[in-house]
Amino acid sequence: MTTVRRQATRRTPERIPGQGDMWVLVFFESLVFTSYFGVYLYYRGRHEAAFLEAQSHLDLGLGVLDTIVLLTSSWSIARCVQNARRDRHRAALRDACLTAALGVGFLGLKITEWTAQISAGRTFTSGDFFQHYFFLTIIHAVHLLIGFVVLGVLAHQLADPRRRSQKIVETCATYWHTVDFLWVLIFALLYVVR
Amino acid sequence: MKTALGIRLLLVWVSLSAITAAYLLIDRTAEHHGAPTASTVVSVSAIGLALFKVWMILREFMEVRRAPALLRGLAGLLVGLMAAVLLGLYFAGKAVG
Amino acid sequence: MTRDTSKRELRLTWYATVAFYQMYAVVFFLFTHIQPPGQPWYDPREVSQWFARHHGGLLFGLALIFALGGLSATSIGLITYSIRRMSVSRAFAYSYLILYSVSAVPGFMFICVALTAGAMRPDRDPKLQQWLYDLGFLSFAGTMGVFLIGSLVWMTAILLDTNGVFPKWFGYLNLCNALTEVVVAPSWIFQRGMFAWNGLISWWVDVVVFGLYTGVFILLLKRMIDRDGPLPAEAAA
Repeated sequence: MTTVRRQATRRTPERIPGQGDMWVLVFFESLVFTSYFGVYLYYRGRHEAAFLEAQSHLDLGLGVLDTIVLLTSSWSIARCVQNARRDRHRAALRDACLTAALGVGFLGLKITEWTAQISAGRTFTSGDFFQHYFFLTIIHAVHLLIGFVVLGVLAHQLADPRRRSQKIVETCATYWHTVDFLWVLIFALLYVVR
Repeated sequence: MKTALGIRLLLVWVSLSAITAAYLLIDRTAEHHGAPTASTVVSVSAIGLALFKVWMILREFMEVRRAPALLRGLAGLLVGLMAAVLLGLYFAGKAVG
Repeated sequence: MTRDTSKRELRLTWYATVAFYQMYAVVFFLFTHIQPPGQPWYDPREVSQWFARHHGGLLFGLALIFALGGLSATSIGLITYSIRRMSVSRAFAYSYLILYSVSAVPGFMFICVALTAGAMRPDRDPKLQQWLYDLGFLSFAGTMGVFLIGSLVWMTAILLDTNGVFPKWFGYLNLCNALTEVVVAPSWIFQRGMFAWNGLISWWVDVVVFGLYTGVFILLLKRMIDRDGPLPAEAAA
């Protein structure tokens, strides 16, 4: 009796999304970034006034926009995985393109912000806060650029019916989500933490 | 996407975006006469909300919710570790200050 | 040559690799105190004092490196061999071999030469000693770009490989290692703070990641040798 009930309530079997190997990267990079964040917060605590003053030059609204753009790209790639799972490959490819477009949008926003800061005379060497700001945003952007390569692999998989591997599609999506959640943290630490 | 899962994903996205927009409100509370001031409450909330969002992304977008127990456990451990390091070093820096 | 003797030769190379990394760690960290690196902001007088403090350790330790540093070739050779076992083009193996062989001179030997020269004449002009000090540490930190590309070559080979020589997660770990190398680049700009050549990010986090990565690939190489043995063509020869 109880076995039947248990089978009725279990909807889908537990499975690791994508290659388990990609999760090694997710955890490893998360830990490395956490160490960078820790260094930032510690330095911040020790030089609060200087960090506050420098931080006031950042545009919180722009930061919020950056985050929402990247969150949307995460949503679209999650949809892509669902569509691919249901063999709706054209829809999945459209979602992947949307993800890439949003990624480009994010990069565009970041470049705008960097240029604005640099033209106002605030660069990598303009004190501790901006050292952290440029470092974290640039290393994140590098991960995003790698994300475009990963999206290329994903699109390549979806485009040809002979090649399609759901596992690889999910693996690529996992990487992209990591880029997103790392930004969620960077945004909170650089733009909001006081 | 009209499936239950599709709607769920949409709701998650709406919630995450709303929390992000809420940062604008949190930020206002820290300002005195337009000048930024230090605020432990704002900082801790900002970090806490960010970690909640990370957890949501892991669970819902990255499908950890339906993953084997080991992955679910490790993901939980990761978020916990992040919380400990971020909050710990934030307060440590202020204490040494 | 039988399969067993061939496997034995691979194991010998592996032990030589382990010996090399142990010697490197002991000499650089314990004998010479080259790692963690000296402060980048030392003025000539302080640099002179740094050389005086580490005089004996530097000369003895670096003499060991000059004698046995060639063992590093076993590590490069074994990794190149592992790439040859993969289904990918041999170009990957050759690229890796050349990259690391070339970078061993500026990235490893140079600092040994510069710091030996600095230590051997304690009465040298402090300004010249500072020049040798900078040359040594900057060459060590600054050649990271070559290791970055090398990691990416190995990563690509592993991810494309269909022979399963290494697990895919190690391919991704190469990417993590490559990205951590990138953060050493700012050490050319900063004399203080977290991006100095001894900074929290440019050195401490970097060394932890590199240490883990090195430990992992040493173990994976052993696993490859034990599990797979020599290539069929070698065993038949």
